[in-house]
Amino acid sequence: MRTQPSAALRDPLLEARNVSKRYGDFVALRDVSLSVNNGEVVSIVGPNGAGKTTLVNTLTGLFVPTTGEVRFLGEKLADNDIVKLSTQGLARAFQLVNIFPDLTVRETLSVAAGSYSGLRWRMMQNFRHNNAVQTIVEEIAQAFGLHTSLDVLSSALPHGKRKLLDVASALALHPKVLLLDEPTAGVSTADKYGIMETLLAAAKKMNVGAIMLVEHDMDLVSRYSTRIIAMQDGAKIADSPAAEFFQNEEVLSIVVGKASH
Amino acid sequence: MMSRILIVVFLGALAVAPMVMPPYFLTVLIPFFAYAIILFGLNLLFGYGGQLSFGHAMFVAVGAYAAATSYSVLGVASFELMLGVAVLAALCIGIPLALIASRFTGIFFGVLTLSFGMLFHSILFKFYNLTGGESGMRVPRPTLLGMELEAYNKIGFLTGPFYYYCLILLILLGYLMWRLVRSPYGLHLSASRDNPVKALYLGVRVRWVRTVAFVISAVYGAIGGVMLGVLTGLADPELSYWTHSGHLVFMTILGGFQQFLGPAVGALVMILVQDQLMAETEYWRFFVGLALAIIVIVLPGGILGGLRRIKFKQKETKAHEDATQRRPARSTA
Amino acid sequence: MNFVTSILLAGLFQAAVLFLVAAGLQLIFGVQRIINLACGSVYALGAYFGITFTNWALAQGLPAHYFPLALLVGGLLIGLVGIPMERILRLIYRRPESFQLVLTFALVLMIHDIIHFFWGADPKQLGNLAMIYGSVTIFDVTMPLYNVMVIVLALIVAGGMAYFLGHTATGKVLRATAENHETSAAMGINVSKVFLLVFTLGTALGTVGGALVIPTGVASLEMGVELIVKAFAVVVIGGLGSMKGAAVGAIIVGLLSTLAVFTYPEVDTLAIYLIVIGMLIWKPSGLYGRVAA
Repeated sequence: MRTQPSAALRDPLLEARNVSKRYGDFVALRDVSLSVNNGEVVSIVGPNGAGKTTLVNTLTGLFVPTTGEVRFLGEKLADNDIVKLSTQGLARAFQLVNIFPDLTVRETLSVAAGSYSGLRWRMMQNFRHNNAVQTIVEEIAQAFGLHTSLDVLSSALPHGKRKLLDVASALALHPKVLLLDEPTAGVSTADKYGIMETLLAAAKKMNVGAIMLVEHDMDLVSRYSTRIIAMQDGAKIADSPAAEFFQNEEVLSIVVGKASH
Repeated sequence: MMSRILIVVFLGALAVAPMVMPPYFLTVLIPFFAYAIILFGLNLLFGYGGQLSFGHAMFVAVGAYAAATSYSVLGVASFELMLGVAVLAALCIGIPLALIASRFTGIFFGVLTLSFGMLFHSILFKFYNLTGGESGMRVPRPTLLGMELEAYNKIGFLTGPFYYYCLILLILLGYLMWRLVRSPYGLHLSASRDNPVKALYLGVRVRWVRTVAFVISAVYGAIGGVMLGVLTGLADPELSYWTHSGHLVFMTILGGFQQFLGPAVGALVMILVQDQLMAETEYWRFFVGLALAIIVIVLPGGILGGLRRIKFKQKETKAHEDATQRRPARSTA
Repeated sequence: MNFVTSILLAGLFQAAVLFLVAAGLQLIFGVQRIINLACGSVYALGAYFGITFTNWALAQGLPAHYFPLALLVGGLLIGLVGIPMERILRLIYRRPESFQLVLTFALVLMIHDIIHFFWGADPKQLGNLAMIYGSVTIFDVTMPLYNVMVIVLALIVAGGMAYFLGHTATGKVLRATAENHETSAAMGINVSKVFLLVFTLGTALGTVGGALVIPTGVASLEMGVELIVKAFAVVVIGGLGSMKGAAVGAIIVGLLSTLAVFTYPEVDTLAIYLIVIGMLIWKPSGLYGRVAA
């Protein structure tokens, strides 16, 4: 499925140009170039240790590339200012569940909604009484089925809902590009399709331009991706539209052979 | 809400206290006002911001010395002037320190603030010509809103007009802090405590919110310091010693950090108990340490945290009872 | 030349004692990720107990020449207090860092009053025993032989630590546990035993340091708190978790502190605090540290 293309955004929305990342002698990323365009759902696949999460971290400004550059909306990531990127429209969710344990669902979503609405320095108004924020919160919560848990503490949520919250809070930023790192990890086979459908429907509703996801589950990858990038040992070994990708026996065996579920 | 009623009743009791309680008890309550204010500030930094400072007491000292200096340099003993100078001093010292310290968290932040505090303590001693060294500086009795209030003797002043002034300050500053922690800024601060990396990705300027929290807590600390200075008549260098910072942390945890009223409760309990304790034994530090250890191990939420758990347990049991009395539903939410 | 040599020698003595305490801190942090605020308190305990034990030993007939042995033994004995301390800290291993800091601070308060209770508030010392060995003259500078002995001992300990950690089976176990608690447990390492060993060893290093410094100084209730900032300065400069850092940091702090004492005594403690702050601003992970702030 395709997401709604956002108006007036030049492609590529996000790109990596010859990005390498080295830690001393260890090379985590090897001359990786890729781009993500409007309307795409790009999956990144590969065996464990291929550098997928490192790639996501580098694309989202957490890591500085040793060589090469990352560009978002055409602009180079010069100072790795993650907050600036988030306001410009780059959002991500995490592989290991990443929430605010002592904040409720409403509060978590309000953090992002507050940033989006430019309210981060409002110091005297109760955030619960701010219409702009609460409208966004309600909208997102509805889209993710979290509206019944709005006042529940994040640490009290079951695993599946926590993953949804992680993504939901990222979406509250109204991003143009959304990166998801194994959004269905730890989720039962029965639930994973439901979660992906929810995620993609919500992203469409929020007018996300493009989605990039790291995923091990090839079922999900084949069903939902428009394009697939495969990695191994820090290097890109394939980058093709979904249909084509599944014709490539060699790459498939590398990816699927060693992938664990 | 129950808690709101309790607060109003408590404040009412405080307002009426000077008419019914003996002066000695009232002079114990004024430190409570001061410490409650100081700890509202520390709780912003530690409870909501997650930054544990072992040097916070230095700002209390800043306040007391500002009060003393505003008199010795400007020749005027006015409470408003003392407060103004203290706030200014807290800003001048707090802002650069905040900018440096907010780069760090956890242990490093603790050691850094410890060093700042002890550095200040050192300076107070070394420059004894300016600061009076070990003996400190005198804080005179100030005018309140310009009024001399000569009719009151020292005790009368402290347990009368000054008491009410401090109570009003406490209510005002407490209310301000309440608004602050419920604002979008306050939410961003809590997010930065719970998960700084994710907070960044949600647009929280982690370093900046921490800086602002540090500065605000410094200002609150200084205001409390002025009150303590006027109460004791002395700006004492020991106010900035690191164990005093530790006591501030202790009071916060005792009452329940991350709870808005936790520190105030801790201050109250501590002030009431410490007086007794110090009278009973000279080894009171041991018992304070023991209590702190027990709380940290057994009841990390402090007094208010413990009460909350009891309340939730009651809710849980009641919900459970309700559920078992009905016929089982078809599916659970 | 005289001036420089005196500072060097006096500084090395300070550095020797600081190294012992810092090594203990680094060991504990390196393996357990705990910062022990009570390290100064155990240092003080070592000093006080060292005095008591040595006096007792001398009263039992120990020849005065052997007093350092008594100090060493006394220091090691009181180092066993690390065992109950570790048991207490064990209860909150999984809690956030700030709670660990607060708990160790609670221990500081308690130990302070324990010392007060058993030994009183007046400073104590061991008389002139240090001079039993007389003085030695190195490069025209005189210093008590005892001080030289302490420096040598510190070097032996440093060497011993390096060998122990680098080349023995137990050392390897410690280093593995330091790298990753879960993996080590999975490999069959008894992590709680390791923690107990490490914490007690680290504490013992601190108590021995306190005991050894006594002949040249005085045991006071405040010595623990004063030491903490110096010890942290060493760890901050050298870098958290690094033994090499403990050595280098101890030398730097020892020398700078001595320099300050010789030139501008009022500046002594001020200089240390400024160094810590400066270091944290310039290179928070220290010279050899592996932990980012």
